Amino acid sequence: MSVGRPIPHDAAVLHVTGTARYVDDIPAPHDTLHLCFGLSDTACGEIVAMDLAAVRSAPGVVAVLAAEDLPNSADTSPSAHDEPLLATGRVHHMGQPLFLAIANSHLAARKAVRRASVEIREEPAILSIDDALAADSRFEEGPRFYRKGDANRAIAAAPHRLEGRIEIGGQEHFYLEGQAALALPQEGGDMVVHTSSQHPTEIQHKVADALGLPMAAVRVEVRRMGGGFGGKESQANALAVACAVAARVTGRPCRMRYDRDDDMVITGKRHDFRIDYRAGYDDDGRIRGIEFRQFARCGWSQDLSLPVADRAMLHADNAYLLDDVTIESHRLKTNTQSATAFRGFGGPQGMVGIERVMDEIAHALGCDPVKVRRANYYADAAPGDAAPAPAPLDDGRDAPADTHADLTSRGTTETRGQPAPPPSGAQTTPYHMAVEDFVLGEMTERLVESADYRGRREQVRAWNAGNEILKRGLALTPVKFGISFTLTHLNQAGALVHVYQDGSVHLNHGGTEMGQGLFRKVSQVAAHRFGVPLERIRITATDTGKVPNTSATAASSGSDLNGMAVKAACDTIRDRIARLIAERHQARAADVRFGGDRVHVGGESYGWEEAVRLAYENRVSLSATGFYKTPKLEWDRIAGRGRPFFYFAQGVAATEVVIDTLTGENRILRTDILHDCGASLNPAVDMGQIEGGFVQGAGWLTTEELVWTDKGRLATHAPSTYKIPACSDRPRVSNVSLWDGRNREDTIYRSKAVGEPPLMLAISVLMALSDACAACGPHYPALDAPATPERVLAAVRRAREGAR
Amino acid sequence: MYAFDIKRPRSVEEAVAALADGEAQALGGGQTLIPTLRQRLADPGTLVSLSGIAELKYVRMEGDVLRIGGGTTHAQVAREAAAHYPALASLAGRIGDPAVRNRGTIGGSLANNDPSACYPAGALGSNATVVTGAREIAADDFFQGLFETALDEGEIVTEVRFPVPEAARYEKFIQPASRFALVAVFVARFAGGVRVAVTGASESGVFRWAEAEAALAADFTPEVVRGLTVQAEGMIGDLHGSAEYRAHLVGVITRRAVEGALA
Ligand SMILES: Cc1cc2nc3c(=O)[nH]c(=O)nc-3n(C[C@H](O)[C@H](O)[C@H](O)COP(=O)(O)OP(=O)(O)OC[C@H]3O[C@@H](n4cnc5c(N)ncnc54)[C@H](O)[C@@H]3O)c2cc1C
Repeated sequence: MSVGRPIPHDAAVLHVTGTARYVDDIPAPHDTLHLCFGLSDTACGEIVAMDLAAVRSAPGVVAVLAAEDLPNSADTSPSAHDEPLLATGRVHHMGQPLFLAIANSHLAARKAVRRASVEIREEPAILSIDDALAADSRFEEGPRFYRKGDANRAIAAAPHRLEGRIEIGGQEHFYLEGQAALALPQEGGDMVVHTSSQHPTEIQHKVADALGLPMAAVRVEVRRMGGGFGGKESQANALAVACAVAARVTGRPCRMRYDRDDDMVITGKRHDFRIDYRAGYDDDGRIRGIEFRQFARCGWSQDLSLPVADRAMLHADNAYLLDDVTIESHRLKTNTQSATAFRGFGGPQGMVGIERVMDEIAHALGCDPVKVRRANYYADAAPGDAAPAPAPLDDGRDAPADTHADLTSRGTTETRGQPAPPPSGAQTTPYHMAVEDFVLGEMTERLVESADYRGRREQVRAWNAGNEILKRGLALTPVKFGISFTLTHLNQAGALVHVYQDGSVHLNHGGTEMGQGLFRKVSQVAAHRFGVPLERIRITATDTGKVPNTSATAASSGSDLNGMAVKAACDTIRDRIARLIAERHQARAADVRFGGDRVHVGGESYGWEEAVRLAYENRVSLSATGFYKTPKLEWDRIAGRGRPFFYFAQGVAATEVVIDTLTGENRILRTDILHDCGASLNPAVDMGQIEGGFVQGAGWLTTEELVWTDKGRLATHAPSTYKIPACSDRPRVSNVSLWDGRNREDTIYRSKAVGEPPLMLAISVLMALSDACAACGPHYPALDAPATPERVLAAVRRAREGAR
Repeated sequence: MYAFDIKRPRSVEEAVAALADGEAQALGGGQTLIPTLRQRLADPGTLVSLSGIAELKYVRMEGDVLRIGGGTTHAQVAREAAAHYPALASLAGRIGDPAVRNRGTIGGSLANNDPSACYPAGALGSNATVVTGAREIAADDFFQGLFETALDEGEIVTEVRFPVPEAARYEKFIQPASRFALVAVFVARFAGGVRVAVTGASESGVFRWAEAEAALAADFTPEVVRGLTVQAEGMIGDLHGSAEYRAHLVGVITRRAVEGALA
């Protein structure tokens, strides 16, 4: 049994001994060239003159390319074709690549770009949400709306009302391995690219497009990333395309990595958001009607902003049944880095919005926030409630003819036919999806007990009564996160499995490994299907030449999709072997069992190697592909109707903090987490994802503050100014457990996706800080994120003195 | 970095001679100067490294004065001053990280007079005397605003003399990413009075908070500082904190320092 066991990450030993190979570690041919971008020092304006003579003559420089020197107009956007590799005439953010130096060494390239003389006629930049609203600078024609019921009327009729605003900061991905790529030119113009990317197929597509080649002439390989977090979905395109184009122009291998400062200044980050809310509620804290207006700062290009903003809307309800609700979303275009995917993909921001409302309602009513949250929860699914039969999928759609379109990008927008309405009487989300698998009622009950929430609520109260300076806060917040790509057709995956004559298994699939443990989980699935020990399974690099047309490893979907595809491929081979063995024993193939490294039939058994040898000698194919597509999905993103998600991953966290009311300094004292991974494929890997996600989320909401100057320069472009959590910032007491449920949908061994959801458990930190601030005075503290000491101190003042 | 020559004198005398050339600059631990050179913000023709001069590295008590050689690293001070002047040793032990502490020197820190640096507060708060080959400069006269000191071109800090107070404490509120001081306060109580030196906060560098000194001289308790405030005007406002926040922190951190000194 390899599935369900807490086995370490397959590369753990390589990671800690420094022998895991990342893109920049790959030995390259001796004549490899190195690349560096010259960057815009202006946020918005027109390029009047660009004199690159001094760059060309710099020591070690082989070639310098500006936009007009490119063989084809190279675009690096995921879908909208609005991101030229190198600026064309205008600049749109400070840090935008203007030209490309190609040199004999990384250092020579870096030194050379500084010699450029570039004149940009500066124009007023649109930097803030307010700037963008004033200029009506946005993506899409206007705001998007999701509506259910009549929010306005319900709010007016409610016994109580409140309204407010929360500002939520962005977040730098801070993957430890920076962006990197290596392009190796092949005969006949073909190109092989090694990249640190979550989306090899997109890289393949963008490189092919930039070189004017069919996709079949480009092969992309990704062994692993040193962290991705969404930051290597679209943001890896520029380096890969630059390397490929430079390799084409020079005929030599080309590699590129961003220095950390360049990385932070060039690449997009998590979207910062402003959320305005207006709610009507009753004496029990039950929301009668609610309106959200979400404002997302998207940066200069569209990137993945539309689906990110969609997902923020899709999580504006979090765990709460809202009958009368309107969600309005503005996607604002600004002269800053192009905000992009980041673990949670907008979901976290949407969730913070409603958690703020829950917190404020509880404060206004003077009752326990958990009570208010529970009063608003969706109803738990009845135990054993069978999932409805899968809806048939319409596969007969015509493929769009545009060959430039990257169909595998999440930035692609599609409109689909009419999704079927939810079953009548079902509890539904604001986007009219029936919620059939809610378990947070019971999970919350369990955590309230195990974390001694009530007892500690009393202790916190007693502490706060007896202490003037240090105040404690406690909060329990739920997470209900929708699993699937909201662009329905991306929910597919492929795998390729070979069994060699000696019984060893070569495993390949479309997912990428970024430290999250995907390869380990999928190898467990393969070992389990064949009934062999894990050691027989060889995990191999993701390769567009082996498995084509893959989706990004994103949306937490890696194990769900690729695990199923691998299962299908393994089963194909297994069934062939079973048929052969069954024939020899006049048994039925269905009665042949695989386990304990043996193949069993009747009372007899063969060793795995022997069975494989027999299959080979009897000319049975030992190679197979596998394919999977997620059932049941139907989604109309414009109407905001349908079933965008296969199921919901859920979790609940209770966090206790302490603040210093004189300075705003704060610490997490304790966190208790109960998280739902369904029937976990690997509890050790899942625990790692939960703990890491929580800490990363806590960083986002407390210490990680991005600051731009009034000229649009990112002032926090290095770890000396931008503070990510370190080991010492984790909660001193941390109790993480897994919910012992199974996914009621038919996922791989009934497990649930775990990549993104735990990040949002950290919303409990923000709410606990708010609770501590609220202990300082009668008013609602309205704490924004990130809750830096200065913001906490301001919130303490608001609690004491009321809004200024 | 621009090209430069490097000289490694073995004595103060040789160093002074080497620095007589106007193009030359002293190199202490290089923890500030090397990054500055790398960003091409300085272009000295010659660097005169002080790290090979044994006579600049010591920590010793003479009477009731602690003498520290100008080339002594933060790490050595943290270790060797602990028995004599714990508050100063604690200050040195909280500068940067081990790499910085094992290279950076007291002379370099004082000569640099970074508005967020620790030693300027320690020296000013202790009423230290900065000794150079040529003269002795009282701390009150030494610090002259942002990155400005009384040192002449080529003048080397050879020793810093710290009168040891009855009670003292360095309280540092860090900017969490760099661990430099966002606001830090050195409080020292002497028989003749109290000194309060504030770093990290003011646009004109380290300063003495006279009001707090007077109040604490009368009654050395945290409570007397409670009613006192510093003006936000003239405080640093930057990406890490507003001027108002820093002004507020000066009061809080001073109180903490007094509490610490009393503990
Ligand atoms: C990561 C990091 C974190 C840091 N954190 C802190 C912190 O928390 N608190 C803090 O206070 N500092 C901090 N520093 C600065 C550190 O303390 C430096 O070491 C110090 O400011 C300079 O000392 P140095 O010996 O390295 O001088 P150098 O960098 O060699 O020189 C600095 C200047 O002083 C001059 N100089 C050097 N020695 C002498 C001398 N004997 N006489 C006259 N002039 C001299 C040089 O010519 C130069 O102008 C940090 C530095 C780094 C890199």
